[in-house]
Amino acid sequence: MSDLKQTLKEQIIEQLNLEDLTPADIQDDAPLFGEGLGLDSIDALEFIVLLEQNYGIKIADPSEGKDIFQSVNSLAEYIEKNNKT
Amino acid sequence: MYYIHTISSISNQDSFRNENVYASLREFDAENDVVAPDYKEFIPRNSLRRLSPILRMGLTCAMECKNVIGKDFDSIVVGTALGCLKDTEKFLNTFITSTSDFLSPTAFIQSTHNTIGGQISLGLNNHAYNMTHTQNNLSFEVSLIDAILCINDGKKNVLVGAAEEKIDFLELVQPNLISADYPLASGASFFAISGEQQNSKVAIQAVDTNFRSKNVEKEILAFLTKEKIDLKEIDLLLTSGTELNSTTFSNKNINYMNFTGLHFSTSAFATHIAHDFLNNNDAKFALVVNDLCKGNLGLTLLKKG
Amino acid sequence: MKIYITGYGLISAIGVGEKETLDALKNERSGIATGKKEETKAYKVGEIALSNEELKTKYKLRTDGSRTALLGMVAAKQAFEGHLISDEIKTGLISGTSVGGMDISEQEYRNYLNNENHNPENYKHHSSGVSSDQIAEELGINDFINTISTACSSAANALMMGARMIRSGMLDRVVVGGTDSLTSFTISGFKSLMIFDADWCKPFDNSRKGLNLGEGAGYIVLESEKSLAITKKQPVAQLTGWSNASDAFHQTASSPDGQGAQLSMLEALKVAGLKPTDIDYINAHGTATPNNDLSESQAIKSVFKEVIPPFSSTKAFTGHTLAASGGIEAVFAILAINNGLLYPNLNFSEVIEETQLTPQLSFEEGKTVKHVLSNSFGFGGNNSTVILSRVD
Repeated sequence: MSDLKQTLKEQIIEQLNLEDLTPADIQDDAPLFGEGLGLDSIDALEFIVLLEQNYGIKIADPSEGKDIFQSVNSLAEYIEKNNKT
Repeated sequence: MYYIHTISSISNQDSFRNENVYASLREFDAENDVVAPDYKEFIPRNSLRRLSPILRMGLTCAMECKNVIGKDFDSIVVGTALGCLKDTEKFLNTFITSTSDFLSPTAFIQSTHNTIGGQISLGLNNHAYNMTHTQNNLSFEVSLIDAILCINDGKKNVLVGAAEEKIDFLELVQPNLISADYPLASGASFFAISGEQQNSKVAIQAVDTNFRSKNVEKEILAFLTKEKIDLKEIDLLLTSGTELNSTTFSNKNINYMNFTGLHFSTSAFATHIAHDFLNNNDAKFALVVNDLCKGNLGLTLLKKG
Repeated sequence: MKIYITGYGLISAIGVGEKETLDALKNERSGIATGKKEETKAYKVGEIALSNEELKTKYKLRTDGSRTALLGMVAAKQAFEGHLISDEIKTGLISGTSVGGMDISEQEYRNYLNNENHNPENYKHHSSGVSSDQIAEELGINDFINTISTACSSAANALMMGARMIRSGMLDRVVVGGTDSLTSFTISGFKSLMIFDADWCKPFDNSRKGLNLGEGAGYIVLESEKSLAITKKQPVAQLTGWSNASDAFHQTASSPDGQGAQLSMLEALKVAGLKPTDIDYINAHGTATPNNDLSESQAIKSVFKEVIPPFSSTKAFTGHTLAASGGIEAVFAILAINNGLLYPNLNFSEVIEETQLTPQLSFEEGKTVKHVLSNSFGFGGNNSTVILSRVD
């Protein structure tokens, strides 16, 4: 699980061009959107691409993403449950 | 008169925050792309991460104009002929090569021509009139015409400018888009203009476009006649490499393309050069002659005082 | 100064010209269907059946160009047909487009990536300005040519620019509108934004899922009084109001309260010298995306308060034709004014929970339609409104 979180952070940084951040800057339970990393709805779409490309998970309705993309913890949990690769 | 209150350009030249771009002109350096400031000083990190070079240049120049005049713009007018090429090419690659149901949207979102104006409105939190014109080599001139209309309509502080971005792929197709032969370049120039003089020393007197230009010399003379100015009064002619009879047009003149390199909106930077020339020399009139695409002629007349 | 409208033309998935268009609107016949081309077959789209070659032959086009330019020529020629060409009348073309020659460029770029038959010469059609040059050439207009590219509000902004140029005396007459063809680029783009409805779009419906794309072109001819005195044209309507404002909220999404949309509608009313109660019909932007329709509904409620005029989105007929939509919908407005029509908002069944607004549901004739307000909102928070009015 912690390996997954580390990988996820690297993937997030790459997919969202967060060039100035390192995985250590992203807390497992910190909110990714709004006050946290300050991500927005375009990033939410990028998350959907990330999940499909790396984990074979298809989220057809962007509104489903709200709960899943809350934090690295929630993302990792969702991937553990649904990983298709 | 449409008074220029500040200009901000990012180009191959050392033009950003330079009070006299004219005096420091040097030949175009194909080795360099643009001499850019540290964008982080202007654009929040969270926005910057997504922005392509044209958006960084355009937004930074706009921010700098806002910082200098210290007032909100009530109109924002942007010209660009080819727009956001880097993101356009990126998205072409994405959808042509992808077999996935899910495509990364960022490049698409930022591929439209009005992303530059949109980013400026977002960056300045500005709800005003926001327009994007795209008309080949006259993209800047038609934008200036819109800006002039804004001022005539009663707007007080107008931001007008142009931006273009080069990508490697352009080398391959350039002769089919434009016949001029100069090294490709990127650049952005933005102007804060208004109908009130205040501290401004140089104004745009008139802008003219001609879409069936056949005889540039005659057309320049007709334009000057309309503006009640004798050709001899023009202290500096800035041309896009236009061939003019040197006996008639014996004015001091420069081919600005030798300094800007090639993109469709170099006349915006030429207007910056013209402004700085008038501002720093004993001179009254400068004329920018843009016929980079034959048949499409733009004339921009600047006046001091 | 009054800005008169003396011509109009359009092509969309519901037909070419006034007669076919009115017939489809009256019979509630949508032009949206499963696409018939390789790049559209996976989607419901408002596709125009005619191929580029068929467009050229059928409408006797002399100028070559991208599909965007060809569609523009068909609509602009209808609008400008029978108009006097004279040196005394300074005439321009201001055209909106978002894709320009992308239909050709994307094919060429595909060849480039596949390393087969890449012909760089074909990129000569790429720039949006070139598509306007080609339309202008077909019409014989060369006093002024300009292209506006503000995504989905492009044509509405072209109307506005044209009106301002006439009012300032820079032009006497100007053909204004917009054109966009369906391209893989835009289809893939909207797919990446995940705002397609796989089925028929449902503007202003509570269960709306997203939009259907379309293609087409719509143009109108604006004339000054000076020009009318020479051309002796009979005006069919007036352009009385226009405005453009920026939402400055998000790159693609509209603000929840539709601030930019409110500003735009209020300013257009001010330019027209009209009160909200003077508006007889609103042709909404109404793309059927969850975000647009909620935001636009909120803005309509704020501007029109208790008395909301009949409103509908015609995008369920044509699909969202992007930069052309403001031009096509301006022609719809003229037809509504001259024939006393209200257009139905197709595929509606339930009001949006937050706003509770019911759009116009049926085609109606014999109404008094003096003033139509038409919204066009684009990416980057670019919000535009035009108002078209009856000639008194």
